[in-house]
Amino acid sequence: MSTGLWLAVIASALGTLLIRVVPFLWMQRRLGSETGLNSIPQWISILGPLMIAAVLGVSLVPVNPGVISWVATAIGLFVTLLVWLRVRTMGLPVAAGVAVFGLVLIGVALAG
Amino acid sequence: MNQLTNSTSGRSTLRGVREAIPLLGGYIPVSLSFGLVATQAGFSTWEAAVISLLIYAGASQFLFVGMVAAGSPLWLVVVLTLLINVRHVVYGPNIAAWLPRSRHWPWLMHGLTDQVFALAHTRLPQLPESERFGWFLGVALLAWGVWIVGTVVGATAGETLTAYWPLLGEIMPFALPALFLTMVAPRVTDKRWALALGCTIASALFFTLYGWSNVAIPLAAACGAISFYMVRFYPRKSTL
Repeated sequence: MSTGLWLAVIASALGTLLIRVVPFLWMQRRLGSETGLNSIPQWISILGPLMIAAVLGVSLVPVNPGVISWVATAIGLFVTLLVWLRVRTMGLPVAAGVAVFGLVLIGVALAG
Repeated sequence: MNQLTNSTSGRSTLRGVREAIPLLGGYIPVSLSFGLVATQAGFSTWEAAVISLLIYAGASQFLFVGMVAAGSPLWLVVVLTLLINVRHVVYGPNIAAWLPRSRHWPWLMHGLTDQVFALAHTRLPQLPESERFGWFLGVALLAWGVWIVGTVVGATAGETLTAYWPLLGEIMPFALPALFLTMVAPRVTDKRWALALGCTIASALFFTLYGWSNVAIPLAAACGAISFYMVRFYPRKSTL
């Protein structure tokens, strides 16, 4: 890589790190201050769960979108939710969802 | 006493490592793909690894190597890389209240990716305060390490791997939506949240399907926030 490209990598890395660190440290300082600014602004606490929901929405698109992979996604999510409703933990529902999703894809591949 | 603290910290770090394992279903195939794409774009294996080590942000890394390969001006590459990552601004403040003060945060926050944030936002409030630092350390280091190793493997053997196990690359990524579903489900506490979260998921899906995946997360979260503030449900008035 050329020097210019290395500088671009370092600038992107440093900028990304600052984007992650500075707001965190700002909030920790704000929470610990004695000036009364010791609570998280409501809009930030609302954006947290919404960001997770957005990451879910983005990750829903299968690697190779098609009727079969969409159906497998729907079945996998349904099973994940069903198991979650029973156990209310993360590990087992995820394992069950991935297993069913995989079984549907492999089953269709074998049948085809 | 010191020994006790160290063993507690070691246990919580291991717990973090264990709980981060579902994230790898998404990290491994994407990092393999990145290694492969980076070498196809003319980067060497170790250059791809350094990009994963230093930038460590999936979508923006793909954009970075793609733009460089297309000959875009480097200043524009940096600006767009940072613009994609600007959504991370709200992640730190959302978990700051649950984490103790430490001089290690300036480098540890490097590990605050979309997936690590989602997991931390769900798990940190459920953990005892003394375990949170070690837990975050375990999650962040495992995810980061796997991302770098995956890039190296993808750069050196990506084509062979995808040729041998074509379905594995399709199945493993489903761990991510399954995991995020278990994180979103407990937040559906009333109609207002159900609508806002549903609106966010649907719009993120829509933006991704229409090729706006780089900005889908902040745009979809904004749609959800608008729904949250604009729509309110009031209890039905009794007619009796």
